[in-house]
Amino acid sequence: MRNRATTPLSKAKIRQSWSKYNLYNLSRLRNPPTISRTFFQQKWTAKSVARAYHGEQVRERQWTRMFSRRIRSVVPMHPAQLAQDDGSLMAAGRGSGLEKRSRSSAGSPPRTPYAQMTFAPLERRLDVAIFRAMFASSARQARQFVVHGAVTVNGKKMKYPGYLLNPGDLFQVDPERVLFATGAPKDKVERREGRLARRAGTEAKSGDDGETATTEDAKNEGSPPVEDTIAEPKDPRETLKSLLSQAKTILSREKEVLPAKRKQEIRGFQRAVRSVLSRSASSTVLTDNLESQFTGLMSALKVKRASTPSADKEATRSAGGAQNASSSHSSPSSSSSSSPPSPSSSSSPSFSPSSSSTAATSTSEAASGISEPLKEAFQKAAHDPSSLDDVDTAELSDTEIEVLRRALQQLRDNPIDSQKPYTTPWRPRDYMSAFAFIPRYLEVNQNICAAVYLRHPVARPGGSEVASPFGESVGTAAYTWYLRRR
Amino acid sequence: MPPRINSQISNSMISSSVTPCLFNPSASALLLSSSSSCCSSRFPAFSNPAPSWPSPTGNCRSQRSRRPFSSSFFLQTRLRSRMFEWLNGEGTRLKHHIPGSTNYLTNLKERNASAASEAKSAGDHSADAGGSEEGALSDIGGNRPFPLNPSFVSESILSEELRNEIYDRVVIQKMSVRAVSVELGVDMKRVGAVVRLVELEKRWRKEGKPLALPYARTVHEMIPTTPLHHPPRRQVAHESINDLPVHRLTDPQIFYPVSESRHFTRVDAGRVFSAAPALPHSKKAGITSADPSILTDHVTRHPNQIERVGKGDSEHEVLLPADARIPHPHLIAFERDRLAKPAEYRERMHLYNERLKAEEEAEKERKREAKERLEKRITKIETKDGRFEFRFKDVVVSRETTGSNGRGTTAPGRRYGVPTYDRKKGQVKIPTRVEV
Repeated sequence: MRNRATTPLSKAKIRQSWSKYNLYNLSRLRNPPTISRTFFQQKWTAKSVARAYHGEQVRERQWTRMFSRRIRSVVPMHPAQLAQDDGSLMAAGRGSGLEKRSRSSAGSPPRTPYAQMTFAPLERRLDVAIFRAMFASSARQARQFVVHGAVTVNGKKMKYPGYLLNPGDLFQVDPERVLFATGAPKDKVERREGRLARRAGTEAKSGDDGETATTEDAKNEGSPPVEDTIAEPKDPRETLKSLLSQAKTILSREKEVLPAKRKQEIRGFQRAVRSVLSRSASSTVLTDNLESQFTGLMSALKVKRASTPSADKEATRSAGGAQNASSSHSSPSSSSSSSPPSPSSSSSPSFSPSSSSTAATSTSEAASGISEPLKEAFQKAAHDPSSLDDVDTAELSDTEIEVLRRALQQLRDNPIDSQKPYTTPWRPRDYMSAFAFIPRYLEVNQNICAAVYLRHPVARPGGSEVASPFGESVGTAAYTWYLRRR
Repeated sequence: MPPRINSQISNSMISSSVTPCLFNPSASALLLSSSSSCCSSRFPAFSNPAPSWPSPTGNCRSQRSRRPFSSSFFLQTRLRSRMFEWLNGEGTRLKHHIPGSTNYLTNLKERNASAASEAKSAGDHSADAGGSEEGALSDIGGNRPFPLNPSFVSESILSEELRNEIYDRVVIQKMSVRAVSVELGVDMKRVGAVVRLVELEKRWRKEGKPLALPYARTVHEMIPTTPLHHPPRRQVAHESINDLPVHRLTDPQIFYPVSESRHFTRVDAGRVFSAAPALPHSKKAGITSADPSILTDHVTRHPNQIERVGKGDSEHEVLLPADARIPHPHLIAFERDRLAKPAEYRERMHLYNERLKAEEEAEKERKREAKERLEKRITKIETKDGRFEFRFKDVVVSRETTGSNGRGTTAPGRRYGVPTYDRKKGQVKIPTRVEV
């Protein structure tokens, strides 16, 4: 289908899109005038304006067949009120309840915006639901994802954007596509980097086919330690150094683009890293691979903060449990580090998504594994906290540690990889927040880019679930337009 | 029509055509008439450039050529330059999200409006009220993404913690969906969906599939979320859990005269809406004397015993009272207990738990019976070597399965006189459901 969904500025139309053109058009949108216009004109304008937003990818004939004059709505009930009487009070008096002077005007519930529900049947479409779940930056893009086979419904590939979701359907979009759709686009420099990396990758592949075959064999057999010892003899000091350089490159490259808050964060991170570097020369952390290197780093930070007894307890508990976790983590990280994806990240530890998925998110720190010498360090810290305190707390404040910890995690979940089709590390595209909402009829899990269509959208007193940029007047007129001959 | 934004730029030249008149009926005509003068931006020599243009206040890059020695002035059309002016001026606030709060156009607009009024009042009075401004800024605009549509509100989503808590309670603590729904104030359908999604996420993590973690973090920063409160604080309800769907039969307004002496309840009203005859006195007396919660339970547990009225196609069930149609009827019984025994908290909670348990058991029983019924209809025959099992199901082609017009989809096979149109042009072949 040809894309006619442009967002022109002269005859502006509002689209289901997150583009800045659309935002600008939205900012100057006004209700269409009704004075000195016939009812027919009002209806025509309303429907054409509304249809440019609601399902412009659906042909008019198709939509008129979908249109239903029946509007779904709900009324929230209060069990306490239902328990108080069986309804006979409402029938008392003259048939509308006994008169109460106090509540006659004040207690009236808000009106139900039925007119905003005109285009509710369209929200059932798969492409629109994907857009509403914030997995695509426009309904057109969502449609493309479906057509290109990146979407599954209940675990089966669905290639029809017009598939009408049933309540309880679970749809899922490929996370890479979602990151691409919602992430900031690459700039010229990054595109070039990606090109170079790709070229380097293909050359390397053609160069040492035999070597990669052997390493893959090794992986299949499940004996990663041989490779690990060669690939990563780094200690956390080097990891920190490379992280520092990463932060620097990010700051230098995206000076204008980064929001101030993030810049501050990165600067704080740099400061924290520097202060840790200055001190960690005496660190006794011994690591065998990237994964435990990282966790070692994390736990080293934890130890330094561990002046409070509760943190100590947690640390020792996790140390007991997660011994074998670190060894199981080794294989994905080895596979990622064997082929550095880009020049920018070749100097740095490449945190591939596969290893990041196993990694601890900010909520679950218990997953971090800790090596044997570290355990000893922990115990030492637990027994004699003063030996650590006098060295550390003077140099690194609590907030700085927190910043460093967060930044480490973020850089880990959000790696630099110039071969991705979006800016790395991932950040949301500009003006995304102005369009960010998820209606209640969807339940979305952003981590796996999956959502469940719970029920059909409904209107309730005070609000409707169909997102529409237009006011009541447009909705009413459009509804009346589609009512004709029905 | 006055220009919508940037009134300081409303130039004499083309005020009505350049200013965005989305709905001005005369806009197109004006555009046509003025196009020769202003829209031929590709040939800047012909358009009158600098003097007519307002002195650039913020940035002039969008209006001038970026090449150093070029004499051409307008690389962009006026509309585009206006747009970039707005995006680089007012719109910069929308460019990046503010972690922990929404950042919608409505907020921006209302902030501007309040700032303007503030400035006006400041002109009148002496400047003060710094504190009041802060208070106004915090809740301006609310959570409405669209300035013109006050009835669409961006509602909160479940936070990561709350989601995991729901999963934990349902899957690990084995609590019933109903109980979790009441305790956390989350709709039962949503509870089910959350369990499914978290289960899927766990599987993905185990398999080491790539997740969209930075994206998830950002989205949760942009959209309001319902947090999980730990015991000392009470959990805030995520949504209303007792939504009563408005039934089709209640759409018309009915004038139904009732004598004052009659005890006219919700049950009677339901019968009136569904055009069922009023209950005879003997039956009505039984209903009023019995415990209403028992009646409700009976109705909700045996949905096929509900009385039906009407004939043929228009046959339908009698509309039940709201007590039986809301998702959590047991809460009404709980409230009745509260009214009856206000002081006995323990007993009330005991009764509440009993009811939940009974409900759960009834549900299990219903599922088991349905399964049995299905089993009964299937004849299974195993082959001698036990390698295959053939399953036979009796085919029913009756009025119920074919429908009144003979085209029902549940009955199998071709039927005489009923053409299938599936090879005809324009027949939609998109699947209507995907089995899990």
